[in-house]
Amino acid sequence: MTGFSQGLLDALLRDTHLILPQLFLMTVATLMLWPGDLMFSRAEKHKWAPITLLVLAITAVLVTRTTEGEGFSRMFRMDGLTRGFQMLCVLGCAGAVALSVRLLDSLKQQTVEYYALILFSLSGMLFLCGASDLISIYFSVELMAICIYILVAYLRDRATSVEAGMKYFLLGAFSSGILVYGISLLYGAAGGTTTNLADLNQALALAPKSSSLLVFSGVLMVLVGMGFKVAAVPFHMWSPDAYEGAPTPITTLMATAPKAAGLAAILRVFGTGFHGVSSDWVLPLSYIAGASMILGNIAAVNQQSMKRLLAYSSIAHVGYMLLGVLSGDPQAGAQAVWLYMAIYIVMNTGAFAVVIYLQGQGEGERIEDFKGLGRKRPVLAFAMMVFLLSLAGIPPLVGFFGKFYLFKLAIEQGYVTLTVLALLTSAVSAYYYLGVVSQMYFREPEGEAIPMGAASVFIVTLACILVLVGTAFGPWLLDWAGKIFLA
Amino acid sequence: MFTANTTLMLVATFLPVLGALVLLLVPKDQRRVFEIGSLLIMIASLLLSLPFWFGYDRASDAVQWAGAWNWIPALGVKFSVGMDGISLLLWLLTTFIGPIAIACSFSAILERHKEYYIWMLVLQTAMLGVFITQDMFLFYLFWEVMLVPMYFLIAIWGGPQKLYAAIKLFLYTLAGSVLMLVALLAIYFLQHQTTGVYDFSLASFQAMAPVIAQQSKSYQTLMALAFFVGFAIKVPMFPFHTWLPDAHVQAPTAGSVILAAILLKMGTYGFVRFLLPIMPTATKELLPWFIGLSLIGIIYGALVAMIQKDMKKLVAYSSVSHLGLCMLGLFALNPYGIKGGLFQMINHGISTSGLFLAVGIVYERRHTRMIADFGGLSKSMPIFATIFMIMTMSSIGLPLLNGFIGEGVILMGSFQAFPWAAVVATLGIILGAAYMLWMFQRVMFGPITEVNEKMEDLNLREILYFAPLVVAAFWIGLYPGPIMAVMDAPVRKLVEQVTPGFHAAQDLAVKQAIAAKLGMQGMAAPAAHHDAAPAGHEAAPAGHAAPHAEPAHGAPAQGGGHQ
Repeated sequence: MTGFSQGLLDALLRDTHLILPQLFLMTVATLMLWPGDLMFSRAEKHKWAPITLLVLAITAVLVTRTTEGEGFSRMFRMDGLTRGFQMLCVLGCAGAVALSVRLLDSLKQQTVEYYALILFSLSGMLFLCGASDLISIYFSVELMAICIYILVAYLRDRATSVEAGMKYFLLGAFSSGILVYGISLLYGAAGGTTTNLADLNQALALAPKSSSLLVFSGVLMVLVGMGFKVAAVPFHMWSPDAYEGAPTPITTLMATAPKAAGLAAILRVFGTGFHGVSSDWVLPLSYIAGASMILGNIAAVNQQSMKRLLAYSSIAHVGYMLLGVLSGDPQAGAQAVWLYMAIYIVMNTGAFAVVIYLQGQGEGERIEDFKGLGRKRPVLAFAMMVFLLSLAGIPPLVGFFGKFYLFKLAIEQGYVTLTVLALLTSAVSAYYYLGVVSQMYFREPEGEAIPMGAASVFIVTLACILVLVGTAFGPWLLDWAGKIFLA
Repeated sequence: MFTANTTLMLVATFLPVLGALVLLLVPKDQRRVFEIGSLLIMIASLLLSLPFWFGYDRASDAVQWAGAWNWIPALGVKFSVGMDGISLLLWLLTTFIGPIAIACSFSAILERHKEYYIWMLVLQTAMLGVFITQDMFLFYLFWEVMLVPMYFLIAIWGGPQKLYAAIKLFLYTLAGSVLMLVALLAIYFLQHQTTGVYDFSLASFQAMAPVIAQQSKSYQTLMALAFFVGFAIKVPMFPFHTWLPDAHVQAPTAGSVILAAILLKMGTYGFVRFLLPIMPTATKELLPWFIGLSLIGIIYGALVAMIQKDMKKLVAYSSVSHLGLCMLGLFALNPYGIKGGLFQMINHGISTSGLFLAVGIVYERRHTRMIADFGGLSKSMPIFATIFMIMTMSSIGLPLLNGFIGEGVILMGSFQAFPWAAVVATLGIILGAAYMLWMFQRVMFGPITEVNEKMEDLNLREILYFAPLVVAAFWIGLYPGPIMAVMDAPVRKLVEQVTPGFHAAQDLAVKQAIAAKLGMQGMAAPAAHHDAAPAGHEAAPAGHAAPHAEPAHGAPAQGGGHQ
């Protein structure tokens, strides 16, 4: 008995270094809730933002220092894919935290739990990036999502926020059910032996022909469950409402970090676990990708609300990224998706920073609120234009580079029809992005400009510079993407 | 990395955008600074570009002043620049039109000066960039960047329907170019499969022509169509032309000038540079369609122009017709046709710019462009009437002026290739003369109204910006040789790329014809027979089946067979 517990302890100590960032995040977040909440009075609550950012910076350092390997009964794997997507999650969270200050200052209550929830959620994302077992994927998804349900409903005085949280929660719980059911089917199909992705890949290949329907349903249900998490059509219904109702910094978060983690999981599940049974999922997934591009871009055209527009546009962007998942070469696919996601996080956070700035004036929800921004705040409007054109993939902005690299891969892998569809729908997307640009530049302004918070200025400036010059540093971007590998 | 000459070329290209960055720092109420500053920048860029005209080696068909920097080695993307004669002409046309477009804006642009001149300068660099790149990735970059400033120029300073026109231009062109991007990538991978390297350079794409020709027919057709649509939208060819009248009518004068003079040429340049050399086989397969669309464009553009009540719309539709003629020349795929098409691109740039400027002049004075509102302007505006007449004549192809040369050469080329098409095109040219002269007559002659009597004639600034166009129209019309000489070698190379052995066959045919002639004379005067024989011997090694011309009756039959 002692021998067993000794062995367990050894294993734990041996594997702990794989999840140092997560452990650090959880410890700090717990301490923030108590006794940390006593540290600052309500008047000083804005100090939590820099502290959270510091925690995120340390997490980022820890992510880069973590050694590679597999542990916890092969539930978690630290490799290039994990590290790369973990960095993106930290980046996305940092952007959201920096943009939260103004909103939280306007609330009366203490707000430390807001930051703690973000950190808890982030730890879930970091687990999800490296989860190499269907069970650990399920746990990580839940840890990540439950924190976000609460954050979406954080503005409890506002009906839309609560409604959005409720909707997101119900549909999220439903999709988790489907996911876990799919997992159980696959467990059965594999002979009740394993849920580990690598083993599953072999077990499914050996599965008798009679269980092929079982495998197919299992794979499809996992696909549906994951599709919900990244809001791919037709599992996207929650996303425009949740995006619109959530506090805008949380919308920023939802559009970036959980998507990165979700895509990392999809890449790993479909690239390693289900690689052998790709005939089961390639067709459904390509329909999902195509439908996301079409519906996301077309539905965005008629939106009046900026947040809904960005929600639909993010559905479309997920559709593009699924092209990378479809790649027959999971390694190259992961690299292209990572690059796209990194670029998407930068430009999307930049765009949301401008929306949040306008919200400080009680505006920014509607696209009309952007009118005359080019006259009132020329530099800010220019930055917004850069973000929007980059989202539309207009060269030489870096968004084009991401699209180019992704679509290049898709054509190489033979998905020509889907790529043509992606490119044509991205031409459609130019229409609604330019709609915002035309509000900013071709309409007369109303009201006075108000000053902008330092954090927002920093984020907008940094993001704008990155988007403007990113393509020139293409080789560096490709070098980084080259470090993404599936072990 | 780059030689001194290449660097100079890059400086001339990027000077406008660098100037724009400097102007960005000037406070926005300094209207004069923007006007004069941007004019000086454009003139500086023009002056820097002139040495290239003189330094160009006309005997060589190579890309000159080539330079490259390994930008993204992993993808085979190079920042690679250089020019041959075709690029050089269009590049010079762009630097030439630049100052004119700025100078005509001084009185037309009444608000938001800072943004306007900055966008103009950015646009200039993007356009110049398209003509110097030797890398497909870089080409696509410049090609798309161009759209953004144009969008703003139309959407901010345009007419009442400006937003609609601007977004239409943007989306139309974007949709075309993304299709082209797919085809580009497909060829890029095909190249990787055959050669094992990733390379975006234009030369390597052109070297792919034989490999592409071996692919399945549907592959070739799809590739060629993707390129075709991308460029045809830009030209614009019928039925992709619908954005053009909107964009032209709504754009400010300078926008129309640049649109007509340079932007449309991007499309024709694309055909010459990419579609023809990269996919000659597929082009030839689809040629009847391309020719048909060119002809419909010529006739349809002319007929629609004829019924226009708005002068600007009339000129816009005349562009559809004229560019149809350019395309007809290019698709003749022989030296005359291609040279004529290229030549007409330059001419159209000069004459249509002049016409749009003229429309801008009357619009600034009367705030209307309706033909019916005018009449008798030659009385109140004699200088203007003279210049307008020169531009009209240049546009309809009057001898002594530039248009005549271009149209003549195109007709020669297309007659060699498709006689019936040349006949239809001639009809279009006649229609062109009809609608232009009819407009000129209605605007310039006839009874004059009181308002029109008070219209002021051109001022010095206006005369100054018209002057280069007038000089160019006459100079090219009287002395087209130098421009033709610049095109000679590259067009020869292009024709060889499209139809390998074309020149050898043609030379052979000519020599045989001469030999035949001399041979016939030889029957009368045997002495001449000795001259004929070497000609035949020379032709034979050129590798073509025809046995060398033996005297007398054998030769004429062969010579005839080649025609």
